[in-house]
Amino acid sequence: MPRRRDRKEQMLAAAQYPLDWLEERSGLIGGLRYFLFRKVPGDSGWWHTLGSATLTAFLVQLGTGVILAMYYKPDPKSAYESVQHINNDVTLGWLVRGMHRWGASVFIILIFFHMARVFLFGAYKYPRELNWVVGVLLLPLALLEGFSGYLLPYDQTAYWATVVGININGTGPFIGPFLASFLRSGPEITGDTLSRFYSIHMLLLPGAILGLIGLHLYLVVRLGVSSPPWSPEAAGRERAEPPPVPGSGLVNPAPRGVTKRPD
Amino acid sequence: MASRRVEENRVAFQRYKEDVKRDGKPFYPYAMFHDTVMSLVVVCVIVGLAFVWHYTSLLGPSLAAKADPGTVSFVPRPDWYFYFLFYLLRIFKWPNSVILGTVGIPTILLILALAIPFIDLRRERRLLRRPIAIVAAVLVALSMGVLTYKGATAKEALGAELLADVPNWVKSEQLPPQALPGAKLFATSGCLNCHTYQGVGGSQLGAPNLSAEGSKNKGITFQIAHLKCPSCVNKGSPMPSFAAFGNANLRKLAIFLEASKGPH
Ligand code: HEM
Repeated sequence: MPRRRDRKEQMLAAAQYPLDWLEERSGLIGGLRYFLFRKVPGDSGWWHTLGSATLTAFLVQLGTGVILAMYYKPDPKSAYESVQHINNDVTLGWLVRGMHRWGASVFIILIFFHMARVFLFGAYKYPRELNWVVGVLLLPLALLEGFSGYLLPYDQTAYWATVVGININGTGPFIGPFLASFLRSGPEITGDTLSRFYSIHMLLLPGAILGLIGLHLYLVVRLGVSSPPWSPEAAGRERAEPPPVPGSGLVNPAPRGVTKRPD
Repeated sequence: MASRRVEENRVAFQRYKEDVKRDGKPFYPYAMFHDTVMSLVVVCVIVGLAFVWHYTSLLGPSLAAKADPGTVSFVPRPDWYFYFLFYLLRIFKWPNSVILGTVGIPTILLILALAIPFIDLRRERRLLRRPIAIVAAVLVALSMGVLTYKGATAKEALGAELLADVPNWVKSEQLPPQALPGAKLFATSGCLNCHTYQGVGGSQLGAPNLSAEGSKNKGITFQIAHLKCPSCVNKGSPMPSFAAFGNANLRKLAIFLEASKGPH
């Protein structure tokens, strides 16, 4: 049945064609293949999922945030009512708002967990110092997201927590008072404050976080995920001190097979 | 000439790359499976919290009353992950060391965090051989946990209960009758959300105890000006303005404050 075979091959080729087309013009398919099929240490496991879990929480914030922005009105006269509207009238609005509200907490908790895992695994050591720095920069940005979003529902808690929060900024040396009056956009909290917080919350900070996450992931892929510190694979440390072999100094790695991963 | 340590680092990393290339597993499907399961758990937890928030009162109300800059009683409470920062303000008391609590400690912590990979240069990663790292991690986790807990459980002052305390104040401070209206206003206006007076009030913010404010004899005029615009009088004060109370009320408060000479 040579004919049927031909047809199958033709179909495969037809399915392959757009991918080849894209690959030839962009290299994106190759990039994706590299990303998916790159090797990670054999004993990397659940501890290594905290970073991508953090990313997931952030993506939930982006998605729910976009939906909330379709109904929210950053104006002191209507902000509170628009949030009530989301809560009470919009289909599943309560769910989207609830996910955004509590997703923020989950995001922050996960950042701390991820940071703790990286610290305890010593994964910030050479050559991943830069990625640690990028991570540390992400932390205050995430906290500021929480701070700037807190005002938006414009209820009593939101309003007064922000008043005090901004005033605390004002106690900072040198730039403190300027920062406070910048955030407030004047000496008092007004409508401009609210739209300023809104812009910071949904454009400035998410943009910065997204950019830094991109850099963070680029470095993760480029350097490879570190193996756990107990790993028999070279976890960036000496193996169980291999017997010195002539000709194997520090520059020439010790010969293979001195230690083996248990199967 | 690269130093010996740099040389060793490079060798070790080279060896890591070779090991992983030979013995590692491809990200897809192995690691990606773990990541996907974990991400699903995260999304489920978030959705679950949204449900709990909507259908029960465990996580608090979904909205407080509408913001009103002119109200007199409010509870300034940040989201829970700022409690540890807010609680620092109780430890570093207003006004002398408050800068330490608000800006100093967070900045120092941030700089320390940034510096970690440049301080800890050893290649050792096994936890049991990094005693300093263990101690540091435990201390940081413990202090953040304790501060968050303390911030979460810090007492919130309620106007109605505080009002019942006013007669005690009159007795122990020997307040004159003309200070009484101010005392009642003071008890119900939210002052005690941040300040303490005769052992009541005071939330997470660590504003000063006002029981003996009058003994400084700053004068009625000063007190009114301060209430109208705290940061104009005390540069950098985080206290909000109470100008919306109106002059008559502010005068009552000022009389009460000046009469508070401390317990007798
Ligand atoms: C928005 C916040 C963040 C996201 C989305 C994120 C995401 C990720 C992901 C997906 C990985 C891959 C390995 C893993 O999952 O453990 C990773 C690795 C890493 N992250 Fe993060 N991260 C964030 C914040 C941080 C913070 C706050 C730090 C530290 C201060 C940090 C330091 C690192 C380091 C050093 C690695 C390399 C670890 C290794 O190779 O074993 N990250 N991050």
